[in-house]
Amino acid sequence: MDFFIQLFTNPIGFYNQHELLIAQIGINSILAISIFVTFYSGQLTLANAGFMAIGAYTTVIMSLYLPTPLPLNMLVGALLAGVVGFLVGLPVLRLRGVFLAIATIGFVEALRLGVILNVPITGEGQGLKNPSADPLGGIVPILASLPVLAYLVWRLTQTRLGQAWSAIREDELAASSNGINVPLYKMIAFVIGAVLAGYAGALETHINFFVDPTEYGIGRTIQILTFAVVGGTTNVLGPIVGAVFLTSLPEIVRGFAAYRDVVNGIILILVIIFRPQGIVGRGGLAFIRPRWWTRWRAPERPASAH
Amino acid sequence: MRSMARGITVALALALAACGGSASTGASTSNSYQGKTIQLGAILSMTGAGSAYGPSSKNGIDLAVETINKTGGVNGATLAVDTRDDASDKIQSAQLAQTLIQQGQLLALLGPTLSNSAVAVHPLAESFKVPILAVSTTGINIVPNCNAPSTVPCAYVFRDSLGEETAIPTNIKIYAAKAHPTTGVLLVASDDKFSSDGGKIVQNTVGQYGIQLLDTIAFSKLTADFATPVTKAVQKKPDVIFITSLGGIPAKIMIEARKQGFSGQFLGGNGFNTAVVSKQAGAAGKGAESGSAWFIDNTFPSNAEFVHAYRNKFTSDPDQFAAQGYAAILILADAAKRANLTFNDVAGDRTRLRTAMESVNIQTPLGPFQFTSTHDVKQTVWVIQMDGIGGFQLVQSVKPS
Amino acid sequence: MAQQVVNAIFIGSIYALFAVGYTLVFGVLDVLNLAHSAVFMLGAVITYSLVALHGMPFLPAAVIAVFVCGLLGLLIEFVALRPLRRRNAPPISALISTIGLALIFVAIVEQATPGTLFGWLWHDGANSVSFPSGTVPNPTYHVGGLTIEGTKLGILITSVVLMLVLGYVVRFTQVGRALRAVAENRRAAALLGINVDRIFASTLFVSSALGGLAGLLFGLAISDISPYIGRDQVELKGLAVIVLGGMGSIPGAVLGGYLLGLIEVLAFVRFGSNVEAGVAFAALFLVLIVRPQGLFGARLRERL
Repeated sequence: MDFFIQLFTNPIGFYNQHELLIAQIGINSILAISIFVTFYSGQLTLANAGFMAIGAYTTVIMSLYLPTPLPLNMLVGALLAGVVGFLVGLPVLRLRGVFLAIATIGFVEALRLGVILNVPITGEGQGLKNPSADPLGGIVPILASLPVLAYLVWRLTQTRLGQAWSAIREDELAASSNGINVPLYKMIAFVIGAVLAGYAGALETHINFFVDPTEYGIGRTIQILTFAVVGGTTNVLGPIVGAVFLTSLPEIVRGFAAYRDVVNGIILILVIIFRPQGIVGRGGLAFIRPRWWTRWRAPERPASAH
Repeated sequence: MRSMARGITVALALALAACGGSASTGASTSNSYQGKTIQLGAILSMTGAGSAYGPSSKNGIDLAVETINKTGGVNGATLAVDTRDDASDKIQSAQLAQTLIQQGQLLALLGPTLSNSAVAVHPLAESFKVPILAVSTTGINIVPNCNAPSTVPCAYVFRDSLGEETAIPTNIKIYAAKAHPTTGVLLVASDDKFSSDGGKIVQNTVGQYGIQLLDTIAFSKLTADFATPVTKAVQKKPDVIFITSLGGIPAKIMIEARKQGFSGQFLGGNGFNTAVVSKQAGAAGKGAESGSAWFIDNTFPSNAEFVHAYRNKFTSDPDQFAAQGYAAILILADAAKRANLTFNDVAGDRTRLRTAMESVNIQTPLGPFQFTSTHDVKQTVWVIQMDGIGGFQLVQSVKPS
Repeated sequence: MAQQVVNAIFIGSIYALFAVGYTLVFGVLDVLNLAHSAVFMLGAVITYSLVALHGMPFLPAAVIAVFVCGLLGLLIEFVALRPLRRRNAPPISALISTIGLALIFVAIVEQATPGTLFGWLWHDGANSVSFPSGTVPNPTYHVGGLTIEGTKLGILITSVVLMLVLGYVVRFTQVGRALRAVAENRRAAALLGINVDRIFASTLFVSSALGGLAGLLFGLAISDISPYIGRDQVELKGLAVIVLGGMGSIPGAVLGGYLLGLIEVLAFVRFGSNVEAGVAFAALFLVLIVRPQGLFGARLRERL
């Protein structure tokens, strides 16, 4: 409760005391957007934690060994994630639904356990100290990136590309017979998702003095998925709302102390049962609209990815 | 009643010992301390994987705070600790540290429980110039180079938990001197930082004592059945199996190795040092040796009193983490007593407290306690072995050099 | 090497038993039940609780634990799955709601110490424990240089028998036919007068009872019972198994379990290090790309 009281009565104090939380919310929002892009094109992919790892490790390793400026390192990290995304996407994107999801989980864990733990330059199981960490300065690029990326992705969903994604999501077969190059558009979504996740991983090194493989496992990807599903995937606002809500949830339920994971779980179940299309349904913050409004309009069509 | 009286006497004795030669300044500052609160923060893992340790630390901390406040506080000032749960998550740990520090009241932080979180939290505390005392972390790079690869030592980071860099070599040295093993195999969870760090220390140490490492067998901490790595280790017929993991893993390895007919010695790290592991390993663990920061049956007064008071308050036995948490409060109380705190200049008080911490020299349940010049622990290492029924026996105590 | 194959067969049966329950729910309900690993953990925890804290002999304790796990399956169905079906939520929602339940189950055990709300169930918080020695007799046989443990042998036999029984029930009984009808097409099955909700509920019951059994056998043979054994040690492996065997196929899950056990052990022996865990997932990745229907032939491809 104190959390909210302070948020409204003393926003400046709130900001000062929760800068890192806010920075994390920003990063998680970008991650949620990255999974949203693939969702929007009708694909359930869970490779985001792997792409994050590529972005983060590239940034830190370059800072350790090269004199290049940090923004360049981050850019290289994000782009490398995109390249790997492309290579992984070639074989994987033929799969659908839960098979695609599981294959991408396989990629994440094979990367983490098979590669990161066995290549000396990553510090293996001991991880790497990050020389360029600057937790309080780091919030600026994070908070600057989020609206820009969110806006770009939103614009993208309004273009022909976005329409093609929607068409594939609603009915892949129909889209294909209408002359849409399905594999190409799927690949574009997958690579954009990879670059965004890689960029988020690179950004996170700002507030992270240390990278180690435990952070980039399947748990992280499931968390990102949860942001998107709880927030809703009909438009780009959904994943952001999900990330904001779920990232601050541990702070909000802190009063429950020992049993806060129980409360976390209950909230997750309640949200998903009572807002199966996510907090933000079709057309923005649907939950603040009266019921008759939604009923009067066309029934919601979720971006179900399967 | 008698026990309480005894507790008070000891606490007073401690307080007097701590004041040491500076009795005159002690008298003059006590007035300004009267009625004030010395606010501390603790970041512990009460939930998640670290909840095997965090609650013990908290019990130790709470017990020490209660005892000191009951017996006159710190020159009349009351100790208060704001304990927060980081859910064993590095990200939450750093967020909490920032929140606690920016609230602007606390003079020092304790924790965090896990090394993974410490590498995120300590540099943060250092950059805010807030003294932070690690109470359970044993890994490499905790002190003094919390900002590695920068080699500028961290001025505000301390720890009272015995590092594996001291404990593991001491353990190997003592065992080598009495049993002269010549071969060993190291089992290490390569996807776990704690275990990897410990493994590196073993690899760097064994050579000095004439032990040849036949093989380093890396496995994942997610391994379900340890039969596979253990078979591989046992087939090398080593004199010693080194295990640097924690949680349920060491006991599982010992049980499996004994089933497969291994009759040699188990040596390990801090992962051995809780009654839980000894209990889980049962008969298979009998004789397994490790270097510990603390031993429950030590009879010197500062430990006997602690164990007694702990049993009274929590109706269970304390463990090493409780002892280290308890010691941390004694250390901070002693430093606060000598720091001439002003209570109106938080930044200045934090620096004064830090400076006073460097010269702590007190009796704790861990034994006589001082910090080294690099803010690490300078204490006796208690080499202990599992007794096969869920407890430990003392093998030897090794004074700091 | 021969010893390592013995090791592989044993861990394979645990994987198989866990994965059979997993794949059963996927086959019938088209849902990945991520609370399955938490039920696995509770199977071990409840048995341990009855034996070590309440002084019950092992066998009745195990029976009770398996039954309670079955009931937990019903809880999963009624709390996390049925409400979503009623609301026509996308299948991905069930993934999230079962994660929510798993969080709750793990947190309850993790926070239980004497004197707390769930102190009657568990005393050891986040720590690992093992059954008191002598809970079940465990003779060790040495055959031609191989070490074979009685408990592991017992577990192997138990799981094979159970999986055969399940296979028989699904294939040759009235209930099994109903089950397969629902798996093929739930709308058509409903038209044929099959009570689909009841089939779903019994599927969850059986699946979770098997999961709990796998958990308690794991706890018994591996000497490791903690709130995290499900999440950390079998959840992802189970996923790999059901993919290797073909999603929704029971014989596939059984073969997949043994195959994964073998792949892991071979990778460990061959590469000799931590690659082993990575190899399992690389195999998973490759199988999906090359044969998304699973490794086994057409006969096993059909659901259940």
